[in-house]
Amino acid sequence: MIEDRLLIFRFKQGRNGALRQIYDKYKIEMLKLAVVLTGDVNTAEDIVHDVFVKFAQSAQRIGLTGSLRNYLVTSVMNRVRNHLRDKGRRCETGLESADLLCSSERSPHQWAVLSERLTLLGRALQELPYEQREVVSLHMELDLPFRRVAKLQGASVNTVKGRYRYAITKLRSLLDSEVKI
Amino acid sequence: MNSADEIKRLFKDAELSVDPDTDEKVFEDIRIARQRSEVKLPAVPVGIGRILMKSPIIKMAVAAVVIIACFTGVFMFNRTSGVALADVLNRIEQISVYMYQMSMSASGQMVAGRPIDQEMDVTILVSHDYGMKMMTEMLAPGSGESITQEMYMLPQKKAMIVIMPGQKKYMQMDLDDKMVEQTQQQNNDPRLMIKQILECKYESLGISSIDGIEVEGFQTSDPNYLGGMMGQVDVKIWVDVVTQLPVQAEMNMQIGEVQMHAVMHDFQWNVTVDATEFEPVIPEDYTTLAGGPIKMPAFNEETAVQGLELFAELTGAYPEELDLMTIISKAGEAMGSQLARDRMQQENRDISEQERTRELTEKIMPITGLAAFYMQLVQDKNDPAYYGEIVTPEDADKVLMRWKVSENEYRVIFGDLKAETVDADVLAELESTLPQ
Repeated sequence: MIEDRLLIFRFKQGRNGALRQIYDKYKIEMLKLAVVLTGDVNTAEDIVHDVFVKFAQSAQRIGLTGSLRNYLVTSVMNRVRNHLRDKGRRCETGLESADLLCSSERSPHQWAVLSERLTLLGRALQELPYEQREVVSLHMELDLPFRRVAKLQGASVNTVKGRYRYAITKLRSLLDSEVKI
Repeated sequence: MNSADEIKRLFKDAELSVDPDTDEKVFEDIRIARQRSEVKLPAVPVGIGRILMKSPIIKMAVAAVVIIACFTGVFMFNRTSGVALADVLNRIEQISVYMYQMSMSASGQMVAGRPIDQEMDVTILVSHDYGMKMMTEMLAPGSGESITQEMYMLPQKKAMIVIMPGQKKYMQMDLDDKMVEQTQQQNNDPRLMIKQILECKYESLGISSIDGIEVEGFQTSDPNYLGGMMGQVDVKIWVDVVTQLPVQAEMNMQIGEVQMHAVMHDFQWNVTVDATEFEPVIPEDYTTLAGGPIKMPAFNEETAVQGLELFAELTGAYPEELDLMTIISKAGEAMGSQLARDRMQQENRDISEQERTRELTEKIMPITGLAAFYMQLVQDKNDPAYYGEIVTPEDADKVLMRWKVSENEYRVIFGDLKAETVDADVLAELESTLPQ
């Protein structure tokens, strides 16, 4: 948190290394979040790329206070939600019908390289309703407390905890047959 | 798969890496996006920066604020510890690096009756080994443009440096050996506000809760806070009852015509920092605000006499009180009138903007030095007294200011600004002749 404030300050002042440090610090975490939320590595790459580009253009609008990580997480979440909403519309009009699946096959210019476990996890998470997927990803992957997740979802803490319980139950049954931890 | 913990472990073990070549290309896209967004911005943001630098009076005020920041920084390194709340003090003195946020607002009339209504966020990083760094962000009135500023207090380099990216300017103020020595005493402990409260008369506000943390509050409105330099104050601090470390602090100050409110929060203790954090980076195209380093005046009798003389020249009287903001505000008003009279003459002189700024800054130095010297006497408990409210430049033999220099001796500055050392009995006699 403290280091982030220093990074933001330097970034706002146009220091060359600050943007790179922010990028290196958060790219993996944001890519992983986008992968588990979208279930599609190409979409996740596009979203995280856009989030960082937008962030890079926003030096004057970003305040010193607040959490840089929360800013990036919220940006990723908003873009994922927009993407899924647009995709839903395209599906309704027949423009896109294929299910999104996490793919471990790499294209020549693939940015993110997924482990087998992440591919498996991403695929399982796609079986959950989106709100549940968000709750379990934010809580388990980013260690956000339920209170914070509730705020991000605009829901009560009890609702979020309920979504979490449903998500865990379903994930257990989905993963039991595939993973030996 | 039978527990949430195992699923969590799966999350943590599910790795993602990046292809290095593609990663470089992605970052290059991001870097270019940043570069293009910068091109769209004006080189110098239209806002308070420009307004400030156009007005000589305000320019002087800005210089004064920088000097005040410097004085404050020096005093921050030069405090002795109190005895009350010793556990809290001992606890924080074990910490070599810490950081906190300060949200601050100021409103009212500043120099020469000019209104001020400003909010700012400040991040402060303090290290026993390297010094202090303040990063300030404020929004320019009108344009809403974000303005940032960095201030470094660097005891090892005997300097204070302010960097103003909006103006592509910087300012360096050199500290003398005594000031540097002062900064190196007390383990370079800069915890000014906490120590000040501990040294003042304060009371407990009882136990309460901040963000779920159980805290005990303390409050002081002792006029001796900061040696009386900051006018009327109301300071509160809340300390974590478990860790014995501050969680939040709040200050209300009425300094002359300016009302200031500050909240310190998000204290982070034992922060890991690199030495490079305290190395100011001044881009090559930045120029100095004052054409070179400005020397800080010594906090001594000579500076005090110069300050009193200058103030009397400008206003026709000695300052009624020696709190810093009030005397700067009064001197600023007078100096503004003088500047207006001298404007034609100044403009006809072939001097650069930098030289003019330097002149103004150096001109106000003895006045700030006077206030700082008195503040130091108060803090060092040298039994100082000041009678500017009743003694004028015509009262040649009246005691204007005095302080203790030994067990039975006092140094006295008289109304005609001559100085003498007298014993306590003589002083008592002299002071008995002062108008009641």
